[in-house]
Amino acid sequence: MSRDAVAPPLPPPPLAAVRARLAASPAVRTLAPFLPLVVLWAVVVELEVFPRAFFPGPLDVVRAGAALVYKGILPVHLQDSLTRLATGAAVGIVVGIPLGVLVGLHRVAYRLAWPLVVFFQAIGDIAWLPILLVWFGFSLTTMTVVIVYTVVFPIIFNAALGVRTVPQDLVRAAQMLGASPLRVLTEVLLPGALPNIVTGLRNGLGYGWRALIAAEIIVGTSGIGFMMFDARRQGSVVEMLLGMILLGVLWSVVDGALLTPLERATVERWGLTRRVE
Amino acid sequence: MTPPRGAGRAVWAAAPAPPLARWLGAAAWFVAPFAILLLVWEAAVRLGEVPLRVFPAPEDVLAAFRQQVATGALGRHLWASLYRVLVGSTLAIAASVPLGILVSTHRIVAAVCTPVLRFFAVLAGIAWIPLATLWFGYGFGAITFIIFNAVFFVVTYNTILGVRRIPTALVDAARSLGAGRWQVVTEVLLPGALPNIVTGIRTGMGFAWRGLIAAEIIATNAGLGYMLFLARDFYRTEVIVLGMIVIGAVWVAIDRLVLAPLERRTVERWGLARRVE
Repeated sequence: MSRDAVAPPLPPPPLAAVRARLAASPAVRTLAPFLPLVVLWAVVVELEVFPRAFFPGPLDVVRAGAALVYKGILPVHLQDSLTRLATGAAVGIVVGIPLGVLVGLHRVAYRLAWPLVVFFQAIGDIAWLPILLVWFGFSLTTMTVVIVYTVVFPIIFNAALGVRTVPQDLVRAAQMLGASPLRVLTEVLLPGALPNIVTGLRNGLGYGWRALIAAEIIVGTSGIGFMMFDARRQGSVVEMLLGMILLGVLWSVVDGALLTPLERATVERWGLTRRVE
Repeated sequence: MTPPRGAGRAVWAAAPAPPLARWLGAAAWFVAPFAILLLVWEAAVRLGEVPLRVFPAPEDVLAAFRQQVATGALGRHLWASLYRVLVGSTLAIAASVPLGILVSTHRIVAAVCTPVLRFFAVLAGIAWIPLATLWFGYGFGAITFIIFNAVFFVVTYNTILGVRRIPTALVDAARSLGAGRWQVVTEVLLPGALPNIVTGIRTGMGFAWRGLIAAEIIATNAGLGYMLFLARDFYRTEVIVLGMIVIGAVWVAIDRLVLAPLERRTVERWGLARRVE
């Protein structure tokens, strides 16, 4: 490798190439569609189609956001919401995966547990709030229970489904080769169920996120949901819009940057059972 | 051909059971878990020293059920909730399917709309509650808006996804056989996208149902969610539990008896695009 092998400085790329490179970058492709929307929003506000107090413009929202960050209110709410979600997710995973695998392993356990899992999933997070308020009051416990509850059932559901849909032939093949039950579990069933487990995690967190917002609105001590409902009480539309945008952005980031790649990687690596579905 | 009466039970385990026996068996397997749960619940109330005001016994809930049915309150709340879901989802489906197909016939428009739609699909439901109550006041308008939102974005997003998955060869084939634009839409795009559309409807209505309960807790004076929250104000935990059971049972019924069969049939009938996934 001689030194003069270094490429000569590139000529400035023509406009078309720049455009092509921009269009290819995922960030631009995701963000660009929102530009016309924001412009449209600004135009509608400037034309005063709706009274401004009910429908503030994008600049107002940005200004309100900056003010809230400066005062340190927004970061605290954000941190509270995310901590709750993380706690819920962690407990949900720790409790949900073993339960789901257990339910999936045993035929009778499966048949007994399945209707209950479906039913409790259907009751939905928010319907639990009133009785949890009676039991635990307006407290952090109430909120944590709601999130854990919401996260846990999709995980149980999908983990059990994953274990059930591992082809029997694979289990038998492993047994034929002398695998102990434990090894069948760790080397056949768990890897086989992994794609479903990750799907369950993704669904569960999606529901958990919404449940968290609802819980914060109703229980109301802190968090993004609380901020939005507090704004509702004061009639501050700017802060409500800010809250909604934050929720959408946050979830898009968590889902797009964390969960979707995780799911894709798992399905690619262990995804043999997906075809059985 | 028909087996003699009474033979069903005798050969149940060995031969393939006749339909009635199989149905009874399935029903038994479905009911058993709930029976066990009920026993555990009853035992927990009898053995534990929990005050009944905080943790009602099954017979209290049954009494509450009788009383609520007799006064007509349960029917009224149930009907209010169902009516809202029906109106909101019908409007949303009627608006979103044509829009989805219209958008997806143009490649660039579709590419621009998809991230925006996904963003709003994430927001769907609960996050709109503060704003909806401000715009439409507390009542039917706000709740219908929330349900509309929950269903609309998810179904539009899924419609676009469905149309995109249709192999271009099929569209080309229809065109070369002399189909006009309209015919391509009605005979290729719509049927091809149907499985995705129905999946979207099922998901969206799941969100709508949860959103509805949350919205009713906050923003109205009738409906199952309101019933729960009203009961909480009076510390009538047996009515809360009754409401939860009704919410779960109604959703299981809608999902299993209406939406799931609809989805299965659509996929079976028009499911060519599903394999492309």
